[in-house]
Amino acid sequence: MGSKRLAVYLLLLACFQQSMSVYCQSTPSITLSERDTPLEKILIVLRDQYGYTFVGDASWTQVAKNVTIYVKNANIREVLDICFKDQPLLYKLKDNRITILSIGQTPPFVRGRLINEKREPVAGVSISIKGSGSSSAISNDNGEFSFRITHPDVDLVITSVNYVDMELPLSGPKDTVIQLKEKISELVDVSVVANNGYQEIPKDRATGSFVQVSNALINRRVSTNILDRLDGVTSSLIFNKNIVSGTNQSAITIRGRSTIAGNPDPLVVVDNFPYNGDINNINPNDVESITVLKDAAAASIWGAFSGNGVIVITTKKGKYNQAPKVSFTTSLTLGRKPDLYYQPILSSGDYIDVEDSLFKWGFYGNPQFASPSTVWSPVIETLMAQKEGLLSAGEAQARINVFRTQDTRQDLARYFYRSSANQQYALNLSGGSAKNKYYFSAGYDKNLANLVRDGYSRVTLNGNNTYSLVPQKLELSTGLFFTASTTQNNNSGSINAVYPYLKLADAQGNALSVPYQLRQSYVDTVGGRQLLDWNYRPLDELRNADNKTTLTDYRINIGIRYAIWKGLEANAYYQYGHGFSNLQNFQSQKTWYTRDQINEYTQVDSTGKLSYPVPMGGILDKRGTSYDANNVRLQLNYTRLLGRDSSHSLNAIAGAELRDVEQQVVTSRLYGYDQNRQNGLPVDYTISYPQYSSPGVSAKIDYTDWNHNLVTSDRYLSYYFNASYSYLQRYTVSASARRDESNLFGVNANQRGVPLWSAGAAWEISKENFYGLGWLPFLKFRVTDGYNGNVDRSVSAYTTASFFGSNPYGAIAASINNPPNPSLRWERINIFNVGVDFAGREHRVEGSLEYYIKTGKDLIGQSPLDPTTGSPVFTGNTANMRANGADINLRTKNIKGLFQWNTFFLFSFVRDKVTSYGQKAGSVYNYLNTGAINPLAGRPLYSVYALKWMGLDTQGNPQGLLNGHVSKDYSSIYTSSDFSNLLYKGPANPPMFGSLRNEFYRKQWGLSFNIVYKFGYYFRRSSIDYSDLFGEVSPGHRDYERRWQHPGDEQYTYVPSMVYPKNPTRDNFYSNSEPLIEKGDHVRLQDIQLSYDLQKKSFPRLPVQSVRLYLYANNIGILWKANHQGIDPDNISDIPNPRTLAMGIKLDL
Amino acid sequence: MLLSGMGMLFSCGKSSFLDKKTNSDLIIPTTLSDFQALLDNSILMGVTPALGELSADNYYLDYGFWQTLDAKQHNAYTWAPDIYNGQGKVDDWDLPYQQVFYANVVLEGLPKVSVDSSNRQDWNALKGAALFIRAYAFYNVAQVFAPVYDPASAATDLGIPLRLSTDINAVSFRATLKDTYGQIEKDLQGAESLLPADVPSTNRNRPSKPAALAMLARMYLSMRAYEQAGKCADSCLQIYSRLIDYNSLSTTTILPFTRLNDETLYQSSFITATNLVLKGVVVPNCVVDSVLYGSYASEDLRKQIFYRLNVDGYPNTIGSYNNSIYPFSGLATDEVYLTRAECRARAGDKEGALADLNTLLKTRWVTGNFTSFTAATPEEARDTILLERRKELAFRGLRWTDLRRLNKEGQNITLTRNLNGQLYHLAPNSPLYVLPIPPDVIAFSGMPQNPRPQQ
Repeated sequence: MGSKRLAVYLLLLACFQQSMSVYCQSTPSITLSERDTPLEKILIVLRDQYGYTFVGDASWTQVAKNVTIYVKNANIREVLDICFKDQPLLYKLKDNRITILSIGQTPPFVRGRLINEKREPVAGVSISIKGSGSSSAISNDNGEFSFRITHPDVDLVITSVNYVDMELPLSGPKDTVIQLKEKISELVDVSVVANNGYQEIPKDRATGSFVQVSNALINRRVSTNILDRLDGVTSSLIFNKNIVSGTNQSAITIRGRSTIAGNPDPLVVVDNFPYNGDINNINPNDVESITVLKDAAAASIWGAFSGNGVIVITTKKGKYNQAPKVSFTTSLTLGRKPDLYYQPILSSGDYIDVEDSLFKWGFYGNPQFASPSTVWSPVIETLMAQKEGLLSAGEAQARINVFRTQDTRQDLARYFYRSSANQQYALNLSGGSAKNKYYFSAGYDKNLANLVRDGYSRVTLNGNNTYSLVPQKLELSTGLFFTASTTQNNNSGSINAVYPYLKLADAQGNALSVPYQLRQSYVDTVGGRQLLDWNYRPLDELRNADNKTTLTDYRINIGIRYAIWKGLEANAYYQYGHGFSNLQNFQSQKTWYTRDQINEYTQVDSTGKLSYPVPMGGILDKRGTSYDANNVRLQLNYTRLLGRDSSHSLNAIAGAELRDVEQQVVTSRLYGYDQNRQNGLPVDYTISYPQYSSPGVSAKIDYTDWNHNLVTSDRYLSYYFNASYSYLQRYTVSASARRDESNLFGVNANQRGVPLWSAGAAWEISKENFYGLGWLPFLKFRVTDGYNGNVDRSVSAYTTASFFGSNPYGAIAASINNPPNPSLRWERINIFNVGVDFAGREHRVEGSLEYYIKTGKDLIGQSPLDPTTGSPVFTGNTANMRANGADINLRTKNIKGLFQWNTFFLFSFVRDKVTSYGQKAGSVYNYLNTGAINPLAGRPLYSVYALKWMGLDTQGNPQGLLNGHVSKDYSSIYTSSDFSNLLYKGPANPPMFGSLRNEFYRKQWGLSFNIVYKFGYYFRRSSIDYSDLFGEVSPGHRDYERRWQHPGDEQYTYVPSMVYPKNPTRDNFYSNSEPLIEKGDHVRLQDIQLSYDLQKKSFPRLPVQSVRLYLYANNIGILWKANHQGIDPDNISDIPNPRTLAMGIKLDL
Repeated sequence: MLLSGMGMLFSCGKSSFLDKKTNSDLIIPTTLSDFQALLDNSILMGVTPALGELSADNYYLDYGFWQTLDAKQHNAYTWAPDIYNGQGKVDDWDLPYQQVFYANVVLEGLPKVSVDSSNRQDWNALKGAALFIRAYAFYNVAQVFAPVYDPASAATDLGIPLRLSTDINAVSFRATLKDTYGQIEKDLQGAESLLPADVPSTNRNRPSKPAALAMLARMYLSMRAYEQAGKCADSCLQIYSRLIDYNSLSTTTILPFTRLNDETLYQSSFITATNLVLKGVVVPNCVVDSVLYGSYASEDLRKQIFYRLNVDGYPNTIGSYNNSIYPFSGLATDEVYLTRAECRARAGDKEGALADLNTLLKTRWVTGNFTSFTAATPEEARDTILLERRKELAFRGLRWTDLRRLNKEGQNITLTRNLNGQLYHLAPNSPLYVLPIPPDVIAFSGMPQNPRPQQ
């Protein structure tokens, strides 16, 4: 509460302190409408009506041509430029005085030549006159340019992608040589100032490996989430797809995997400190740049948090001495409906054929013996009715024929899905005086998801201020970030029924019931009219759902910098973060879940009177998650150039920081909840009640899963040091050390810490005198080595136990989580990195090449123990991993000049494997099960295995190999401990990936498209599983159509025959066999961006400083893929992300 | 100033700053209530190995069903010398040793809790319970994986590993059979002296003094130390001797007993997760032995209260003293009566033996239809009692131990299985009465395997 008030106060303080003196120049607006009028006459109008005087030598009136001009509210420059455009005259404007010069005195052309710092000519650069869009030129291959001018006292404006923009006064009639300064920083990551969250490291001092993602690149994509904008444009960073829960996979991996059971996610740092909130809270429009730290030298400053790489996000700040700038951005992203027909399920006709066969085989038994929970599909209900004589054969067939024509997906697409529409608005204001700089922003996002009644809205507010209290000496900065969001989660996108021919609504749109949990004939007749309606109607479920999460999150930053003495500076930072998210799921009495709970617990006494242990009314579930994060950092910086010629450069930081993150999760449930009363009713959790639909089963009203309070606390104390020394800007060495201590392991204080270090060296060989490769003017070698760390929060050095509710006798019970492990250590990851950075002439080709070896040591893994110890599995520092890889980053300028074409190529290669792991599972099936991690030494952590396939036999049965012989003993094959049966097909994650991005520019137009690719990995696709089909676990698979049906088919198909009774081990064998393994390799056209930029510099009539209009199309499509099954390898089981088209506008006022 | 202030913050509060507990759901067990919660983990504590009952002769399996079973159950049914096919993680071994580990955590933690008059009773009860649980687990393992107790060879026969501390680094080795039973006896005697005399009214998963005595009686009986078994059974019944009149039970429900019934001294069931056979009516293919089923008289209520005919007309077991379809394997007074009766008969006290038997069986018969059992000699009384023991305690995990002990004294019982016409036999005193130790245990510890006959 107190902190909230403080936050508001800071924001107000920040607002009121601004001296927003908006600078405004007043010039008269001129309106003229003249056709073929003498110039003199126009000048007289200007004099008489607008107060301009004019002078000139006598002869000018004789050579002046007539002028045609139509302008409205133009300024004087625009008017004069038009008037003098084709005249053999020039004009000069000073205050209100126009001087007319004849051509004899000054040539009407400007000529010049552009050179770079190496005195080489620079081609393709645009030169124009300030404040005029009419006169401009592009330098030719010799760097020369010339263009006509209308007046001599002008400033030339030189703008270029590759060189620092310049403005310079025209220095007279003689040819001008202009030397341009290269700007490398925004273009290639090898040349930037990297922010690692503690300091900014300039390119020439860097030994480590990092990627800088510039603001332009961040803004190329349109998305709500900031991290999404790294996808496909960041070297060695991959977004993992097809994540299986329970396998500890991360959404993002940087340079391969380096932990097994520990935290797999990269550290996300926002404005100096690790970010604890939801990453969705960060508005991408507030982000200035992102730096990804990859190797030990870059990341080890983050010590025990850096094992998976670090993503450093820096938000926008104002600048000193800058006029206020207002910028507004908005975009609208429209997405298509997802393609529900992507999933290859059985057609309604085939499904009904299967049901019909099962019915004939007696699979469904006799109706009189079926229990209420024996759910039958509408087709089976019809067949049963026919069997019981309630329907004639003709009636039954007619009904079933109707089902054959229906497809559940039609109604799903109509009622459950829609086109998505995401709106984004962002407004920001920044600027600064000599003593103060500021940045304020407000953002609003509103997303309507593809799922009807699902959506997301977000408001972000951001204000930061920096005060120069004592110039060059003491600086104070404050920042406040606030986010509020609401997520609607009312639609699961599915209906809990596999039958492919259901209708969800009648012609009037009324919801229809579908079979679920209880048989329809039971639901129709049960309890007379005494129970609540027990029908399950998916469409009503969607309409009545009320499940939303509201979130608020804020961060407060305070920082002080104090320059102590000659390059020594002290910094202190404090950040407080607080977030609270509240999930509220109200299931009213209209929802099936609540009706079912009330009905199942309904008790009938001997007199037939009903009582309701679960009371009438709704059920309200709440889940509140909050965190409080306090971070304090004290740091000394030392930057000094030494030696007589400043040839020695020393840069060091040292500091200490405290981190305390407390998280709380509170869940609660209220029964009999009434929205008007806002209150629930008491229930008795202690009694077991017979269930209405199955009186033999008793159950207590659910309590423990819904009422819980969990508090976790993570505390860290860290000390760090980082220094680099450069000589002649050629040789650089760097070193860092860090020690982290934590409350995590619950061990003695002296065992809590882990020291981690790194060292590196760089050599810019192209600066050496002996360096002679003229075609490669920049060449730098780097090498680093060191340790990063990682944390596994689930282990402890002591015997730990956890309570798990009550036992059947009503007493609190606990179970032991792990035996004592006094030798528990932190995970350490050694990274050795070598790199070379290079740039060719004129930066036509430039880039970097890196190779690394990552070795994970003391990784937390499970190893088996003698079960006699009482803990069959031991979790401790037992595993090791190793990865090696290479990153290639290339940028070429294919065409320079008026039309520009640049290409960006990224290639990452990474091969990781587990080198030792304590526990080897006994049977091959452990490695086929994809729902759990089962590392095998020598293989990647995530591998695809398959069982050897020996074809179908003449009866359509699949055959495998057991002890060297062809076998149909599926159970033995599956549980065999003979690992020669287990084929390793390859890694499940791509070892090779990257992107190819092409950018084209012509004048105001920009076009770019990004092609991403992934190679060298495998996946297991699904196929027909008859047991799941019969058991109504799945709606089957189209491979059914290709199944073995007649002897001889085994020569053409590998899809086994359908057998009855079901044989799950046979299905299991086939599902895990070789023919279903596919290569994941593919190339995808990810996105296209088209933009149109207008600058006031070039278009003076523009009412704003600049306008950018853009179109952005995403998820465009796969260009090539290795599999022929129509499967998008990024979406093996899910529906692929639909294409989206965004249109947007950015205004700088 | 700011710097020095923060510097102080860093240095002063450091150790307390890092002492903060990481997770409110996690505990490092140190208090009496923590220890009680560990012992109240009835999911783990209330289970006993099923391999003995699986190997015994109370049931037979349908051939088709037998084929679908996993290696352990499949092979144990036919008394194969190796039953695991190389697969470790055998619950029948692992779970009792997890119980031992929990008990050791409590036994090592208790001395660190200061004791005064306010908590002495609870402290004693917890120590007694931990000792009881450890002994119970050791005993159950020994019935399956150690040879039958023979005083002549016990000092050299290999028993089971006796894990008496939580140190997971200590290598497991097999103690002698004498030491094994010595430890069980010592733990149970310790438990008996510490546990409260009252059988808990609600927490029937917690042991009591009568339960410890009943367990001692069961142990001595398995060792054929009949005098001591009789004494302990008597001591138990002196404190607690209630019986259920089966006429008061429903003969229609499949769960006729409540979990807190009058006869139960200590609740326990066979392991469930890897036990696919002993699941009562859920597995109609596990059929009660027809001789056993046929041996119940028509007025004997047990025929209806223990069993139910399935759709094919074959008998299956139904819910037992644990109010569950999984068979009950804990301690109950009916067993204690039968133990005292047998020991009295063996001691020559025919009348005393018959009195116990009739007291018990009177409650099993339809009221008014019971005729007291008689016998001419103590030996005849003993044989009657042994027959009634089998009928009363079927599917309680006791038959396997009884077969081992009775064959040891010359009863010469050969077990036979018939699978699709193929017959399997288990000869009296066969080494196959001692089941193989799981392969992962052998691999880790290097302990000697039980002798296996050549196949």
